[in-house]
Amino acid sequence: MIALAIAQQTLREALRRRVMWVILIIGVFLIALGPVFGFLSPKDSQTVLRSLGLAAILLSGLFITIVTCIYLIPVEIERRTIYTVLSKPVQRYEFVLGKFLGGFATVFVNIAAMGIVFLAMIYLQENRIPTEMFKGVLMTFFQMMLLAALTIFFSTFTTPVVNFFLSFGIFLVGNLSSVTESLTTKSNSVVRTAGVVIHYLLPNFGNFNIQNSLIRPTTEIANEGIFLRNNIIYAIIYSSVLLVLAILIFDRREV
Amino acid sequence: MAAAITIQGLTKKYIGVGTGEVVAVNNLNLEVEEGEIFGFLGRNGAGKTTTIKMLLGLVFPTAGDAKILGKPMGDNAIKQEIAYLPEETYFYDSMTGWDLIDYYARLFRIGEPERSRRVKIALEKVRLQPEAWRRSIRGYSKGMRQRIGIAQALINDPKLLFLDEPTSGLDPIAHAELRDIVGSLRNEGKTVFLSSHQLADVELICSRVAIIHKGKLLTQGTIAELVHGERKAVTVQAPGFSNGMMPKLQAIVPDATHSGGDTVQFDIDDEERITAVIDLVRGLNGRVLSIVPHKRTLEEVFVETVRREDNS
Repeated sequence: MIALAIAQQTLREALRRRVMWVILIIGVFLIALGPVFGFLSPKDSQTVLRSLGLAAILLSGLFITIVTCIYLIPVEIERRTIYTVLSKPVQRYEFVLGKFLGGFATVFVNIAAMGIVFLAMIYLQENRIPTEMFKGVLMTFFQMMLLAALTIFFSTFTTPVVNFFLSFGIFLVGNLSSVTESLTTKSNSVVRTAGVVIHYLLPNFGNFNIQNSLIRPTTEIANEGIFLRNNIIYAIIYSSVLLVLAILIFDRREV
Repeated sequence: MAAAITIQGLTKKYIGVGTGEVVAVNNLNLEVEEGEIFGFLGRNGAGKTTTIKMLLGLVFPTAGDAKILGKPMGDNAIKQEIAYLPEETYFYDSMTGWDLIDYYARLFRIGEPERSRRVKIALEKVRLQPEAWRRSIRGYSKGMRQRIGIAQALINDPKLLFLDEPTSGLDPIAHAELRDIVGSLRNEGKTVFLSSHQLADVELICSRVAIIHKGKLLTQGTIAELVHGERKAVTVQAPGFSNGMMPKLQAIVPDATHSGGDTVQFDIDDEERITAVIDLVRGLNGRVLSIVPHKRTLEEVFVETVRREDNS
């Protein structure tokens, strides 16, 4: 399959970018610091390690996803390698799909690497690996998949700089789902309409943030299994829609 | 012979911010026959690359149409049979030469072991040293990169190749070798659409050429048709050019100039005036030292054609 060949090539190119390694090393370093901070506060050592670990994976994953995916398509155009690819029997949808899969695989490799270090640290401290932590890493992974699709979507028609601010901005707004949801019930019709548009149109990144309830068992998620499953389905469907739009735009774009 | 490329009224206009409408390609009509090496000439920004990109479906025409190997341009099916080497392309330099060509072969859905066989043939054909095959492209010279570029264009054994400046910026040895490689494609029955500024190469390997300027086709034809007619470089030695000979000579050859001494050199392109000059010089006790036929080059034709268009 051509998209897989392009994805493999994309992963290979992405993995040799120094900036990605710097972010990954910082992430792993922060996770590894968890037990050290835990010693400073022995009473909360478990909470400190879990909070720091999940936050490090989220932040590193966020920056790795954005800095990787914003360049995937523009760099091919800038270096003219896209000419040698699209002049071969490669459909444009295969190219976009391959780029997304390559970017997604890069994010997966990085989150998996940080996740392994994180779970190893927990094992060293607690002599067990709680399944909640798997769920936390899994939700971050799907959150980043959605962000990767969003970034690829923007990269089909914006410059990397604009893409960075758009993707990062939407990620921040999308994480404030409780705030945007409250806007949908305001009496002012303009605010209400804006709230509806923002809350329902922009990707709801906030739903993937389950770290608090995982770290503090007192805040439980009702029907956790269904909630997680629905979030995963939401991420897959929303990412698919973004990719279809990206393909439609890229199909009409001159390179 | 069937047409490999038929272009009819192909036009591309861009709307630039502050520059208004820019016509990159203007009502281009062209036909390239199968099995020929066709030179597509023009200055930088003349519209050569835009034309190639339209034919490959990378940019979309404002008007006009084209057929490649009998199918509409941009059709994905024809991409199995064509190849493109863009000008000054960056190749993924973390890859080895072998891996890069293997990657491009995968884009043609060529499976193993056929893929490895094709990669080997392509690398051998462009004469890339085998010890460089498994080395990172990062360490390749420009000549080696151009060879890799041509190898990726040969991986599908194409019927038609679009080559954009394949020999620019190379040292003389690499230049000559790559020119020979491109020239040898004709012997394999391939059609080559060659965009180049290396007019000596074009003259040597192309059967026909077209000259494009500011998006407009100025002329096209075989090399012989374009460089037809020859001038003769005449050297005359006569005592006393200053004694009234120059005005008489200039009456026959207006461009003749006296560079000093008793020797004058000038070009004449018709037999009658040569005879008149000889008669004049003999009548004034001078000597015609030499009359050397000088064939027009493609470069001269190109410069004349473009300047004529600029001045019109």
